[in-house]
Amino acid sequence: MIGQMWNRYRQRFIHYFQVYSGFFATSFIAAMSFRIHFVLLIVMDLFFYVSTLGSVHIIYNHVSMIGPWNREELLFFVSVMLTIQQCHMAFVSENFWLFSSTIRTGALDFVLLKPISALFSSFFRHIRPGSFINILITWITVIYYGIEVHLGLLAWVLLPFCILSGLILASSLDMVIASSMFWMLEGTGINFLRIELQELSRWPDFIYGSITSRILTIVVPVLLIGSAPVRFLFDHSDWLPLFGLGVAIIVVWVVLHFVWNAGLNIYESASS
Amino acid sequence: MINATGLTKRFKSYKKPPGFFASLKSLFYRQYETNYAVNSFDVHIEPGEIVGLLGPNGAGKTTLMKMFTGIITPSDGQLKVLGYIPAKRDRLFRKQIALVMGQKSQLWWDIPAMDSFQLLQRYYEIDNTAFQSRVAELAHLLGAEKFLDVHVRKLSLGERMKVELMACLLHEPKLIFLDEPTIGLDLIAQKNIRDFLKKYHEKTQTTIVLTSHYMADVEALCSRIILILDGKQGFDGPIGEFETLLGHEKNVSFLFSEQQDPINSLWKEYDAQWNKEHTEVDLRLPEEKLREVCAYILQHYPVIEFSTEKMPIERVMKTVMSNPKLIQ
Repeated sequence: MIGQMWNRYRQRFIHYFQVYSGFFATSFIAAMSFRIHFVLLIVMDLFFYVSTLGSVHIIYNHVSMIGPWNREELLFFVSVMLTIQQCHMAFVSENFWLFSSTIRTGALDFVLLKPISALFSSFFRHIRPGSFINILITWITVIYYGIEVHLGLLAWVLLPFCILSGLILASSLDMVIASSMFWMLEGTGINFLRIELQELSRWPDFIYGSITSRILTIVVPVLLIGSAPVRFLFDHSDWLPLFGLGVAIIVVWVVLHFVWNAGLNIYESASS
Repeated sequence: MINATGLTKRFKSYKKPPGFFASLKSLFYRQYETNYAVNSFDVHIEPGEIVGLLGPNGAGKTTLMKMFTGIITPSDGQLKVLGYIPAKRDRLFRKQIALVMGQKSQLWWDIPAMDSFQLLQRYYEIDNTAFQSRVAELAHLLGAEKFLDVHVRKLSLGERMKVELMACLLHEPKLIFLDEPTIGLDLIAQKNIRDFLKKYHEKTQTTIVLTSHYMADVEALCSRIILILDGKQGFDGPIGEFETLLGHEKNVSFLFSEQQDPINSLWKEYDAQWNKEHTEVDLRLPEEKLREVCAYILQHYPVIEFSTEKMPIERVMKTVMSNPKLIQ
């Protein structure tokens, strides 16, 4: 019985992995068709990192501490956030931009016909191969500032998992928000909301006032994306936010399940 | 294969009067109305059939297909396709069906068709040997070998439709839905697609549900037709029965050596359709009057050519659509 179940899940996992590698291959082939666009995206992302890290440096040229963190600690946090966002851009971001037109044009019809989860096909179908090169660069900055803040051995071991958890929460929240496009149809406003929430998560939780911080931790838990893992990496006794991150992922997935299914039920497609 | 009882789909929409102030008002207050795209529809389709779903634009044909495939959820009624409830979107159900829409593409525009096929191979878990042989066979049948490696956005409409058909047949579905597969194609391309579908059906006996506005598609492929008018079933039966829906009448064409007077009562009696010059006429004649009327015209008019055929389905269709009461 357990053996059969294990076999079924193993086969399902292999199936999804093969489809995902197909998504990767086709995204790469498509990206290669537009060479200048491909290179431009890499350059623009690099410009964004330099300006983000540069602005932190400029601020610390005028103050010695922001909250409890010094220059290196905040730069480590920003690097972690940049890595999470770069992975987000490489693996899922493109799909949120395209989802509204998928619904409005009825292209979702073909997604629903495929023998695989429509949620998976909708939000993991498009990958931005150009962003993979920059993931490497963001990791180099994380490692550099990790050394600067003297991370311990456990912190180094946990660092990839912490970044992965932040990425899962950020992506899951975006999936819930994007699912509201089933009702709204037009996605520009929704995508701006996602961007604004990403902006808020780009700064550590202590810079916000008590009420704002609670709302952005409990109601829309964007502050858990980066602050929770980094706080734990700095101080292992500060584990509660990381635990909250785990809980938030579970809650967001339950919500996503309901919102997505309700959205599919009201999906009207587009006339032919 | 398909069993539907009382199948209904309602859509809610709002009406906005034209103008800026009406748009402003619609931000705060909207008057919604419910429309029935499909209303209490019953249908039973057996394995191996090719069924044509016919009807004017907006009759509910595509909505019906989308409910059959599980794309949209019915508002009411019972529906089972291949033993599954489509709206539950079971994985095994989706592996056994395919849908081709003449006006939409399931292939990715920015990559060649072959790359999309390889992705479909993964979706449907088709082993490599079977995949290669199916691609080769379908490409040969459709004459599509030359453009499998061309970006889809660069293909002509006819070529694109060929690769769309290939994409939908790669996983050997038991049930195929074709929504206007020949729309926009030139006459030769239409015929090629029809010939291919005919051959494919003869070979595989796959069940096919087809919608088309081209009666040539329906006549060439379908053994049975279902007429939909305003979301309701108007006619369901063999194509031969549909052709005789207006009675056992024949279509007779006469070509005259000189212009004729179309006002003559003889012509009016038999639903005459004249050419611009009034030198050629198509008449709808009851079978029992065929000999008598033809003999009269041949004797009294300067006929240089004449031919007779059974009532074209297109003409039956036009007559029924303009007067739906004929089939009620």
